[in-house]
Amino acid sequence: MWVYVGRRLLLAIPTLLGASVIVFAMVHLAPGDPIAAVMPAESSAAEIEATKRAYGFDRPLPVQYLVWLQRVAQGDLGRSIATRRPVILDVRDALANSLVLALSSSLLAFVVGIALGLLSAFRQGRLLDKLCAALAVIGVSVPHYWAGIILIIVFSVQLNWLPAMGAADDPGLLPFLRHIALPTVALALIPLGVITRVVRSAALDILNQEFVTALRAKGLAARRVFVHVLKNSAPQILTVLGLQFGFQLGGSVLVESVFSWPGTGYLLNLAIFQRDIPVLQGVILVLATFFVLLNLAVDLLQTLIDPRIARH
Amino acid sequence: MRALARLLLALILPLTLVAPALAQGTLRIGMTASDIPYTGGQSDNGFEGFRFVGYQIYEPLIQWDLSRADRLAALVPGLAESWEVRKDAPTKWVFKLRKGVTFHDGSPFNADAVVFTFESIKKKDAPHFDPYGSGQVGFRLASLVGVSKIDDYTVEFETNKPTSFVPYQICYMVIVSPTQWQKFKDWRKFAEQPSGTGPFKVTRFVPRERLELEANKTYWDAKRRPKIDKLVLLPMPEPTTRLAALRSGQVDWVEVPPPDSIPQLKAAGFTITRNSYPHNWTHTLRLDKEPWSNKLVRKAANYAIDRVGICKNLLNDTCIPATGVVYKGHPWFGKPKEIYEYNPNKAKDLLRQAGFDASKHPAKAVHLISTSGSGQMLPLAMNELIQKNLKDVGIDVDLQPVEWNTLLTRWRAGFKTPENEGLNAWNISWNFLEPWSGFGRFFHSKSVVPVAVNTMPYINPEADKLIDEAERTFDIGKQNEILAHVHELVVDDAPWIFVVHDQNPRALAPKVKGFVQPQSWFVDLTSVTVR
Amino acid sequence: MAPLAGVEAATDAVAAVPAAPMSYWRTVGWRLGRDRTTLAAGGGLLVIVLAALLAPWLAPYDPSAGSIRLRLAWPGTPGHWLGTDEQGRDMLSRLLWGGRMTLVAGLTPVLVAFVVGSALGIAAGFVGRTTSTLIMRTMDIFYAFPSVLLAIAISGALGPGLANTLISLSIVFIPRVVRVAESATVQVKGLEYIAAARVSGAGMGAIVRHHLLANVLGPILVFASTQVSLSIILAAGLSFLGLGVTPPAAEWGLMLNTLRQSIYVNALVPALPGLAIFATSMAFNLLSDGLRDAMEIRG
Repeated sequence: MWVYVGRRLLLAIPTLLGASVIVFAMVHLAPGDPIAAVMPAESSAAEIEATKRAYGFDRPLPVQYLVWLQRVAQGDLGRSIATRRPVILDVRDALANSLVLALSSSLLAFVVGIALGLLSAFRQGRLLDKLCAALAVIGVSVPHYWAGIILIIVFSVQLNWLPAMGAADDPGLLPFLRHIALPTVALALIPLGVITRVVRSAALDILNQEFVTALRAKGLAARRVFVHVLKNSAPQILTVLGLQFGFQLGGSVLVESVFSWPGTGYLLNLAIFQRDIPVLQGVILVLATFFVLLNLAVDLLQTLIDPRIARH
Repeated sequence: MRALARLLLALILPLTLVAPALAQGTLRIGMTASDIPYTGGQSDNGFEGFRFVGYQIYEPLIQWDLSRADRLAALVPGLAESWEVRKDAPTKWVFKLRKGVTFHDGSPFNADAVVFTFESIKKKDAPHFDPYGSGQVGFRLASLVGVSKIDDYTVEFETNKPTSFVPYQICYMVIVSPTQWQKFKDWRKFAEQPSGTGPFKVTRFVPRERLELEANKTYWDAKRRPKIDKLVLLPMPEPTTRLAALRSGQVDWVEVPPPDSIPQLKAAGFTITRNSYPHNWTHTLRLDKEPWSNKLVRKAANYAIDRVGICKNLLNDTCIPATGVVYKGHPWFGKPKEIYEYNPNKAKDLLRQAGFDASKHPAKAVHLISTSGSGQMLPLAMNELIQKNLKDVGIDVDLQPVEWNTLLTRWRAGFKTPENEGLNAWNISWNFLEPWSGFGRFFHSKSVVPVAVNTMPYINPEADKLIDEAERTFDIGKQNEILAHVHELVVDDAPWIFVVHDQNPRALAPKVKGFVQPQSWFVDLTSVTVR
Repeated sequence: MAPLAGVEAATDAVAAVPAAPMSYWRTVGWRLGRDRTTLAAGGGLLVIVLAALLAPWLAPYDPSAGSIRLRLAWPGTPGHWLGTDEQGRDMLSRLLWGGRMTLVAGLTPVLVAFVVGSALGIAAGFVGRTTSTLIMRTMDIFYAFPSVLLAIAISGALGPGLANTLISLSIVFIPRVVRVAESATVQVKGLEYIAAARVSGAGMGAIVRHHLLANVLGPILVFASTQVSLSIILAAGLSFLGLGVTPPAAEWGLMLNTLRQSIYVNALVPALPGLAIFATSMAFNLLSDGLRDAMEIRG
């Protein structure tokens, strides 16, 4: 098993490197002079020369990549064109905010998703099952940014119960909860749907195994069946939880835009319209790295739980 | 990790479940900017930057009187008590500075600060040169070439030629504290802990999120010390976000609420303020490339726009149609030969005369627009309508939206850079506070990029002559007449698509009182109270 | 969305392949016919697709024609049964025409991914180890990005426009299809009757044609169908952010974006494009569910 762990760790490295190549290429994909993509227009000639040397723009592309990679490895993601702050600072703050939202939204999606999924599986074929399945399909099909807008209309504008935007300005638990409530729900919808379906499917797989049906027919206590189902479907459930958390972290752009939640998605959106390539690169690289490490963690966790699973 | 720390704290500590009451007298403003305007001195984000940051933290030597709503805001003494041009040397202006004024960091305001600030904008090899600030404001000080200290409270500015425009340029240069700058020797760090002489000082700066300021209790003008304790500025580029934030009580004041929502805001008790001010919203056309190189096509475009529809239907009467640089009734309006109105047939005629034809020789253009921003009103909706108006007469315009500050940056570089080469126009709102802003910077051949912002470029020797004459004329009445002639030329040449003059609607919560909306781009927040 | 679930389903489906492929498909068809929900979804989808295809004939107005004096009319206004948008354009016409844009932006990337991804995945599963590793590791790199992020990254760099949206979304979906295709191919390759066919001297081409494709394309198809809903939501999402289709084009995501500013004046009209995206998504999801259920052996 440790061989497997070692191999996965090793494999993550080329993945990360490959991702970094894509991010690096973005500067050169964008129209215009690459130097214009990383420097404010009114930079002095001296500043431009210094940046050119630092980035190595006059050297061949592969060398440029290595130069860039070296700086990234040291934590230097360049400077934002818009704020002239180091990108790493902007990204760090935004990442914290996105993590908070992703955690809160995942909590909601996981708890409700697992509950509904199990409920569905144990009541297969009955009304409750159909209801939960319907809810799940709705969750998966809803465009979450649209759901966010509807939530704002209902809860913010009409009922005036909850704030419409941003993170809380005042300290305290209640303001924090009030601000995070709507974005959490909006972001949780799709993962909730996916988790419900996967949990239901995984649980059903086990419930429908012959020996389980036989044991249930013989009157085995519901609790023991339940525990058995949980234990055996845990790997699959864990995988999907991990993936969905990644989705919520990386895919929160749309929800963050609707709610002006100051996370990485909001930063990404702003950077696109500001044509702030260093910030774009920084955000995407950090998120991709996070995602790779998250996938790695999920895979390893799965192997720990069930050593039989060693994917190729 | 700030947010994570907050989360943990919130979970561990048995906190009160009731949010602490807001400090009495806190004014929270939702701006149209998508980011906090530059706090290091010379503002970015256009005049909204000056409005909420530049002119609140800092002050110029000559400032605007923003206390009245019934007349155009005029220039009055700021950090300078008096100024005059020297009779013996018409290119030299002597300014007597105000005594007893201190910066937020405690250091005294004097001639050294003025020289320091000027050099930070104009002197490229100075250690305290601010490339960013200089880029924002440098072109506004086009005539000023030097400054010297006569004594601690007297400075002398030198211009490149005799010009009556000096006061109008001086008002854009806000004075920064050299002492504070010397602490950091870095403009970015200075911007995080700025120091000026203005009525508000910065207490907390969270990039991209909020700027918190507090009243300057030792502000030099005792009559204008702020009545609120705290000022919070929040960037909110989306109109609906601003509306939602206002209605849910997250902010007390928003710029440009969605015009559609004005009736219901009024019904719910909010105050809507509006006033004319020297603003126009245009598409500034590129004159050295087809299709806008042809005057008939430019005129056609001006006849194709349904301005009344925009003002009445799209924007709920928060603007008035524009048929020139200034509005009718302004001393510079003059007697233009034609008044542009909505006449699609005439537009089609003109286009045909110009030799354009939908199949063989189509008129196509790419216009750079913004998604929000100072004075830009509701750019996406307005531009969609304009695009349709132009399409209906046979001109195909492709719209490229970018963020406001990005648009300004690209505009200042002009059309001839690789990034901007494919563009045919920019949609930027302009001000005509004074002759330089209204005409000088655009229509004089010496203002061609990069000296100033004649990007079109508009080259008209007759306009040059008139503008030079206006600059030499110190008598306001005569100056107005000359500028009216310039206006007539410009309207006829139609280097812009004139669209509307804004009225800058604002929505204020019922608890906000004492605000006077002047006929100006800027506001005086010192008279405002928040119960 | 849940790629692993798709892979599981795919491999299960492959394992369910009996020795005689033809009757298997007949069974699938029979199961589908009995499944009312799936039939309803299929019917609904047919209506949506037909409406979009026939938009030029069905739409009462030109989608870009409108009078600003009639903006934001409520549904039920005579002449504009679904109301008008913020520029005064007829909603019904824009929804019909918008459907074409959205469906194209949603389906094309998945189709491209299906073709390219299947080719790459089957190749990876069938051919030697080095090619396989190369292809799979390259796909892993793209897999490192959450789908939305990758779409935005590519679109952000390339710029707005339909073509760029199609490119970026295709790049998002190809790796996922490749994974499923490779996994399915590897499974089938190991099955006994393939070995039997090889022993009997059947050529590579014949094996691929008769056995591989028939048994592998099915699961890939099912997986691809589960991705359509995501593709539609992503395409509309890109337009919503200003990265996809540009004004004045009618596209559901873009309409959602521009109408968003009007929710306080007329809450119903802005809900319509979102509803359309939702309904189409749902139909695709139900259909793909039904397909998957029909292709598996389950109680």
